[in-house]
Amino acid sequence: MLTKTFAVAYYTFRESFARKTFIAFFIISTIILSILLLAVNIDVVDGALASFRFFNQDVKNVDQQLRLIIIGIQSTLSAFLFTGGIFFSIFATASLVPNMLEKGNIDWLLARPISRSMLLFGRSAGALAVVAFNVFYLVGGAWLILSLKSGFWHWPFLLSGLIIVLTFAVLYAFMVFLGVAVQNSAVTIMGAYLILFFSPMLAQRDRIYALLTDKVWQYLLDVLYTMTPRTFEVGDITRLVVMNQPITSWNALWHSLALGVVYFILAILIFNKRNY
Amino acid sequence: MPSAIHAENISRTFSRGKIRALQDFSLDVETGIIFGLLGPNGAGKTTFIKILLGLTRPSTGSATLFGVPTERYHARKRIGYLPENHRFPLFLTGSQLLDYCGRLSGMHSKAERETRAELLLKRVNMWQWRNTRIKKYSKGMMQRLGLAQALIHDPDLIFLDEPTDGIDPIGRKEVRDLLLELKNSGKTIFLNSHLLSEVETICDQVAILNKGKLVSQGSVHELTTSDRRFQLYIEGTPQQIEPVLKEHTQSVIAHNDHYEITVRDNKALNAAIDSLRQQGLLIEAIIPHKQSLEDSFFQAVRGHSETDLNTLFETKAKTGANDAD
Ligand SMILES: Nc1ncnc2c1ncn2[C@@H]1O[C@H](COP(=O)(O)OP(=O)(O)OP(=O)(O)O)[C@@H](O)[C@H]1O
Ligand SMILES: [Mg+2]
Repeated sequence: MLTKTFAVAYYTFRESFARKTFIAFFIISTIILSILLLAVNIDVVDGALASFRFFNQDVKNVDQQLRLIIIGIQSTLSAFLFTGGIFFSIFATASLVPNMLEKGNIDWLLARPISRSMLLFGRSAGALAVVAFNVFYLVGGAWLILSLKSGFWHWPFLLSGLIIVLTFAVLYAFMVFLGVAVQNSAVTIMGAYLILFFSPMLAQRDRIYALLTDKVWQYLLDVLYTMTPRTFEVGDITRLVVMNQPITSWNALWHSLALGVVYFILAILIFNKRNY
Repeated sequence: MPSAIHAENISRTFSRGKIRALQDFSLDVETGIIFGLLGPNGAGKTTFIKILLGLTRPSTGSATLFGVPTERYHARKRIGYLPENHRFPLFLTGSQLLDYCGRLSGMHSKAERETRAELLLKRVNMWQWRNTRIKKYSKGMMQRLGLAQALIHDPDLIFLDEPTDGIDPIGRKEVRDLLLELKNSGKTIFLNSHLLSEVETICDQVAILNKGKLVSQGSVHELTTSDRRFQLYIEGTPQQIEPVLKEHTQSVIAHNDHYEITVRDNKALNAAIDSLRQQGLLIEAIIPHKQSLEDSFFQAVRGHSETDLNTLFETKAKTGANDAD
């Protein structure tokens, strides 16, 4: 059973990578990595460091400065991934499930001895794997280059990569749910973008309450807040993680992950009921 | 040993009951035969296959494949399927698709998948295209590949929905040969088709479906022999023979050297023979009429056959001619 699910994931991975969007993603990441590798010259900073040492100045201070530069670069990258990268990935993976369900395509797949749940799981895992691959190619690569150049191994940057992938996973669960329910890539993309768009507002719904006349609207807003992955707040957590600042609450992440599981289970339930 | 296919009182409606794709359809298909399901467009043939494969659930009724209920995905372990209007991932090449399908069907060994794929690709004449992306395939090539993917895991029961659709005449012959070969190696084949002549040449058993209802079922032999029509070879002049025949039969068609008669039952046939003998006429041969499967198809679907219509016209024309005499 697992090998079959793996086969679905593997071929989904290949299918995604056959698309221009991910090739573009990969090329952009490669360019960024090349720039980091060739253009950012930390040796200069090291040289400055040496000279500082030479003059027996406060070395700690310089070290601090170097760290700030590295963290600055890493924050920029992680912000880029959290916004642009996720935006890109949603676009590139949205059609995977609706396409699979298309007439003529689903027939030969469902005729195989594999359960529908595993088929959908494999498909989603494949999509997630492509995104994870791309995110970690950039995050891992940048981290390695910067660490090797500076000798400053800033682990939280890797953690931010993981959070970005998890955030996408949650959004993707919602997209799979929509994909199975309505079988339309455009609706799937719009659904995910709506979440990204409304998440900041819902996070600050306290301010909106003041504008609302009726308690019912407040209640409705609360329900919506409960049902929506909290991408905005998770984005904030990611930023704090990279910047090595204290995080007051991880709740937004746990809540979003739980929602992801719920949406995926719903998707499986619908898929199992469907006739093709 | 359970039948390859056992379906019990299957009904399936669409559009909230407005479309009745299948109505109380029951069927048993024994193992080791080629079974043909015939019917006009929209008769419910594809719907039936989809129900057997668990793609669609029946509104009522149930079915098993080799004794395993179709709802369980294990039922599909020994099953191959060529869907109508299939679409395979365009970015894959022919051999990649077969590899994928093999893995999905539980073939764990890569070597085994490769040998099997080579064998099948050569068998359906697609070997030279194996490394070309499916995107570039023609319709017939796609169909040949579809056939190969249905057979990749050496299934025991193979569902083929219009297998020769889009394939050229030579290819069709090849497909027919392949199906017969599969049957000879003990496989069961369930085939949907419009091509009656094709079905007639390769199928052992046939069912005819019309508007979701089973209208006729039997062996090809049973469906093509009509027990009411005979060819009679008699020595004598038409003036002697025709009045006698007309007395006992429903229709008489005079051909160059024989007569074709339709009788109500065997009694009537024997009465006709008795009369002829009493007149001292010598009967040379009585041959049961063989109708084409196409005839029985028309008969089943429309309630009368094309040749029946011809008979009607011919007898009319004959009577007209006689009147003129
Ligand atoms: N998903 C669906 N929704 C609504 N109606 C459907 C659906 N699938 C099939 N039907 C209807 O069910 C009936 C049987 O369709 P089916 O595809 O089984 O016919 P068929 O015998 O395979 O025809 P053909 O020879 O054209 O392939 C048709 O009237 C069709 O319109
Ligand atoms: Mg059909």
